[in-house]
Amino acid sequence: MRRFYFWQKEKSTKKNLRQSPLRKAVLVGNPNVGKSVVFNRLTGLYVTVSNYPGTTVEVARGRGYFIQEEMEVVDTPGMYSLLPITEEEKVARQLLLQEQPSVVIHVVDACNLERMLSLTLQLIEAEMPLILLINMMDEARRIGLRLDCDLLSQRLGIPVVAAAAVLNEGMANLRKKVAELVRTAA
Amino acid sequence: MSAQRPKIDYPLWLQQGAVKITGLMRGHYALSRYSIAMLLLQGDQDIAVLVRKKEGRDRWGLIDATVEEVRSLSPKPISYVVAVSRQKTGSKLIQDVVIKERLRRETWLDVLGELTMRLPMGIPVLFLVLYFALYRFVGVFGAGTVVDYIEGTIFQGYLNPWVNALVREYIPWPIIQDLLAHEYGIITLGLRYAIAIILPIVGCFFLVFSLIEDSGYLPRLALLVDRLCKVIGLSGRAVIPLTLGLGCSSMATLVTRTLETKRERVIATLLLALAVPCSAQLGVILSLLSRKPLALVIWITFVLLIFLMVGYLAAQVLPGQSPTFYMEVPPLRIPQLGNVLTKTLTRVQWYFFEIMPMFVLSSVLIWLGKITGLFDYAVSGLGRLVTFIGLPYEAGAMFLFGFFRRDYGAAGLYDLVAQELLTTRQLVVAAATLTLFVPCIAQFSIMMKERGPVTALAMAGFIFPFAFGAGFFLNIILIALGLV
Repeated sequence: MRRFYFWQKEKSTKKNLRQSPLRKAVLVGNPNVGKSVVFNRLTGLYVTVSNYPGTTVEVARGRGYFIQEEMEVVDTPGMYSLLPITEEEKVARQLLLQEQPSVVIHVVDACNLERMLSLTLQLIEAEMPLILLINMMDEARRIGLRLDCDLLSQRLGIPVVAAAAVLNEGMANLRKKVAELVRTAA
Repeated sequence: MSAQRPKIDYPLWLQQGAVKITGLMRGHYALSRYSIAMLLLQGDQDIAVLVRKKEGRDRWGLIDATVEEVRSLSPKPISYVVAVSRQKTGSKLIQDVVIKERLRRETWLDVLGELTMRLPMGIPVLFLVLYFALYRFVGVFGAGTVVDYIEGTIFQGYLNPWVNALVREYIPWPIIQDLLAHEYGIITLGLRYAIAIILPIVGCFFLVFSLIEDSGYLPRLALLVDRLCKVIGLSGRAVIPLTLGLGCSSMATLVTRTLETKRERVIATLLLALAVPCSAQLGVILSLLSRKPLALVIWITFVLLIFLMVGYLAAQVLPGQSPTFYMEVPPLRIPQLGNVLTKTLTRVQWYFFEIMPMFVLSSVLIWLGKITGLFDYAVSGLGRLVTFIGLPYEAGAMFLFGFFRRDYGAAGLYDLVAQELLTTRQLVVAAATLTLFVPCIAQFSIMMKERGPVTALAMAGFIFPFAFGAGFFLNIILIALGLV
């Protein structure tokens, strides 16, 4: 088994792109929205969860089951926009371009939804097979925010899942939505 | 489904321009052509290379010309126009989706979260955390109780005599016997240090550190000490690598990447190599010194002074601006026990697999050194050197161990104390010098990688004489004051 830790940087992107027979789900999003936690929940493979900036500098891969389907899950470095500025954003976009994902899961922070929706719109524009995962719902509840996910899903035309990955909330729903998206696409 | 997907409200000229560009494309892309066109319009070089490759030179010429034409229509920088359009579209979409239900209700966690960041109350909270988490749990429980049991009772009591006897009985050659057992053997020294001394300490430390990390206390600590950090040319953000350094300085040196400027990274790397003891070292030293409170205070003050002094001087010497500091402070949370435990486990596992070969290798190197006589030569050299700073000749070996791993050296110190070879003054001097002394092999190799060989070698060249010089002065001062 390969082990991944936050201090390990992916050495070469090419080497890790060897074709895997599994379909891929790619996690994207701003830094510090809990992508790594979602990744760990989905794969059952724990990397490292940290709530301070700068830890997600590598690309982690794992496998997880989505209802019946086993898929490869890829955790990308944080990105703010499809137009990359930093090295990390370049890596993240490179992954989107090259991995041929069956599902792209855009993870956002429920407390800063508006700011992060710009990337969602770009991913929709790029016609990615997209799911919007609104994470950190526990924080949003704590500061008294309520989100109408059905309305947002209707407006965006993509599945929207509310979650609190640290508490394992919404993860079953996410798996279900991923499986559905893969099935309709196939 | 995708038919209902929203379009971003770009100005009409931009929409039409992008459509015109997509009309010129023939290749298949991972992103939609429309989105590729938008990236080209924003001047994305990587995408330009990709499109040129896919479309061939002729069509690329056309595309490039069209892109330029559309760009010339833009009244403002095109990235700005694009960003504003997206923001507006986003704001419109989000209407009625986010509802602010009630005013934020303050919980006791919020109150505590505020307290930890404010100056008068933040300091006692910091000391409470340091005292209970680091000192009581890691120092006294981990490095004391647990180590005493595993090292004293299990290894020294049962395992080592058993291994020694076994080796003596089945292996006729004394040289091979020494490789496996006796004073410096792979099993009796390498394994014993790794499992009995280092593992419990590092395990306790990682447990506490994961707890603190997941509670959201670290960024608050960063905010609290920001002003202090400015003195040594760092921002509050540097608290994270520096605190991590108390766990494993090699790991921390890697994390200095998160600092913004090169200048900050160099200062933090130097401080990590010089004056931040790692968990194993810290644990062993704390547990040894805690039996003599005055010695502990002297050691802490001395190392802290060196830390501040070297940081201050480095900040004066190194060119560049002081960093600005901004950090999002997450709310204080009650850590999830499952997360903390798995995180601790992976870290201990990583650490253990990383150090285990080092310990075995060190045992082998020491064995080789003993056979060839090189080791004795180095030990006697260092032995003579340490007598200058008032330490017994036997302490030399410990500094040699420190080369292989810092904690290896600290464990050597533990052995010296167990044999009652040191007075309190000598213990303080030894602990201080050992703390300052060169980084271990692992940390040094990471320094080479992250800062480049020139910087890394310069730092090592500074640290070696500096550590012994500082030890020398500390010894003189202690004798003069007659404190311990």
